[in-house]
Amino acid sequence: MKKFLLLLGVLGATILATESASAQIQVGEGQISGAVESNNIYYGPDKKLENLGLMQRPELPFGSHDFIKVDYSIGRFSAGIQLDGYLPPMDGYDISTYKQRDTKLTGFLTKYVQWEDTNYGIRLGDIYDQFGNGLIFRTYEDRALGFNNALAGARAYYNFNNYVSVKAIAGMPRLYDVRNTNWVYGADLSLSISDMAGWTGGMVSIEGSYIGRYQHGASTDEILQYTGITGDYLNMVSGRLNFEAAGFTLRGEYAAKLNEDLYSAMNAPAKGNVVHVDLGYSHRRFSASATFRRYEKMQTPITLSAGALGGGNTLNYLPLLTRQHTYMLASLNPYQGSGTGDEIGGQFDVYYSLRNKKERTKYWNFHANFSTYYSMDYASYSSTMKGRMLWLDVNADVERQWGKHLKTTLFYSHQQWDEAHGLGIEAHNYSSDIFVADVTYKFNKKYSMRVEAQYLASNNYEGDWVAGLIEFNIAPKFSFYVSDMWNCEAMEKNTFYDENGEEYNELLHYYQVGASFTHSRFRAQLSYGRNRAGYVCSGGVCRYQPAYTGINLSLTASF
Amino acid sequence: MKKFLFLMLALVIGVSASAQTLPDVKVENQEGKVISVRELVDGTPMIISFWSTTCKPCIMELNAINDSFYEWLEEVDMKVVAISVDDSRTLSRARAMTQGQGWDDFVCLYDKNQDFKRAMNVSLTPHTFIVDGNGTIVYSHSGYTPGSEQELFEKIKALK
Repeated sequence: MKKFLLLLGVLGATILATESASAQIQVGEGQISGAVESNNIYYGPDKKLENLGLMQRPELPFGSHDFIKVDYSIGRFSAGIQLDGYLPPMDGYDISTYKQRDTKLTGFLTKYVQWEDTNYGIRLGDIYDQFGNGLIFRTYEDRALGFNNALAGARAYYNFNNYVSVKAIAGMPRLYDVRNTNWVYGADLSLSISDMAGWTGGMVSIEGSYIGRYQHGASTDEILQYTGITGDYLNMVSGRLNFEAAGFTLRGEYAAKLNEDLYSAMNAPAKGNVVHVDLGYSHRRFSASATFRRYEKMQTPITLSAGALGGGNTLNYLPLLTRQHTYMLASLNPYQGSGTGDEIGGQFDVYYSLRNKKERTKYWNFHANFSTYYSMDYASYSSTMKGRMLWLDVNADVERQWGKHLKTTLFYSHQQWDEAHGLGIEAHNYSSDIFVADVTYKFNKKYSMRVEAQYLASNNYEGDWVAGLIEFNIAPKFSFYVSDMWNCEAMEKNTFYDENGEEYNELLHYYQVGASFTHSRFRAQLSYGRNRAGYVCSGGVCRYQPAYTGINLSLTASF
Repeated sequence: MKKFLFLMLALVIGVSASAQTLPDVKVENQEGKVISVRELVDGTPMIISFWSTTCKPCIMELNAINDSFYEWLEEVDMKVVAISVDDSRTLSRARAMTQGQGWDDFVCLYDKNQDFKRAMNVSLTPHTFIVDGNGTIVYSHSGYTPGSEQELFEKIKALK
């Protein structure tokens, strides 16, 4: 009932908010704006998934993640609050694994006041920030992952004539639904060499950062002593060089932990380090970019205390640097990272756009991407684990806009991965080839249709898969789709029983039907379907999503 | 729960129509220099579109705008600002992509810490805003369906 009232409230507010062309509240000279997001799942029964042992219907067959954010601003001053509700948390989120699944968690409030001037800024309250690539420090929110490690404290920065900028932060990070009591503090300095030298042909800057973490009593804590932690303090540093001229870019960063720290639950504490280099070149409609990264024992938890684990216990950002696939079959088995705390590898992207000078609606876009990652020589693992390839993919897409009505995309992906990485057991190397054809046809300014046909060929993992999607759009408000996906070889494994107890075999279809409605600042998405167990990735971080069949309703609005 | 309802109620009662202006937030330009969003306001109306390298409909929308851009310019003076919300992981890919998709007529900016995204209350991408020459947000729309770019054009034309 309460749930229903909340939904009604969200709907009411959003409809009112969107009825006026640009709804927003004026308070004197200042203004209030905000956003509401509500994601809901109803977990339905699914005998087939349950029979195959692929799904366990939650006792409380409901999950809801809700966010209300309100900001006030006047001139250079702004303030805001955000209320998070996990009513209760959905399955497959760390907040439900490491907190309680069937308990509603509400009322966690993020708040801030801020002054932004031309050359300086001060913020008190919850802070989202990062130093460089985030290798030693990044606080952010990702609702698709259920992640938020906002730092509650203070931040100040000052820029001097574009030459020098300094920033300092201090506070306590958020861990799931609670404020952790560990202190995190640090500073970041950036020097623009090109501005100082008056060089206008390009950009050169050098940057450095420091981050400290203090856990009171870590060195005297019995449980932590058992792991080998010897100090309450962790110090980390990072140095960076950025260069940009004549279409070339080079950005390099080196970061290290100066003290021993717990980087994985299974291993003894150690110092860590990481190198990250980005290279880029672009000329007219051609561009290429390459990334190299090597890290060792660099994962940094917010707290060392036992029991506070999971993806939420993260202070820095070491994402998976592979292409995040969007086609169903290409994202079936995404790279999940090295489980051993070390990794070396890189990726390479090339883009080219071939365009007709006279007709803007006729062009080709080409994109090729390659990435591969290896685990490094690692003493605590057996010799077979040394320098083992964890992931490799080669992808190519060709997009052709034929004119105002028709667009086609052909996509190919070859993927290889190791199933057993990090577990110390014998590794299996699997591979698959994915083919996708994606066609959009625009009948007129209002009606359009999109069709996807996908095939995954593999002779050593789960075998071949087929998927398809049909989408029909009525611009600008409505969109409808149906999709299906199934494994071609699982038939003999999928044994079901009918009402008479007779055995039969059948393919297991992962179907979806959905619709979305958009009106100005309000958007609603409703879908029903069977979802396969697998990794859901956002921003290079993945979470395991158990299989379920159910209804998803998502509402967003801003005012 | 009561807090939620109370907040909602307060919002429903408080809502009234008026104009919202662009927030004062800093983002990076194509060269990696930090600029203030307010610098975009120069008397020309603009479409501000939030996108990321992993958001397919965002890229479709920006491509559709790019297709019609010269046609639109014949009727109305305007500019298009493509704001990438890619974080440090995909930032270099985003920079490469703006070139490789032929978006050279767009102003491409990078909001890697998502300060601008938060300040504009964008929950889902694509999210597109229409801002008039004085920096007042006059319209916004989230999600993309092929053809909905036409609505953006109509709204921009109506500003004249």
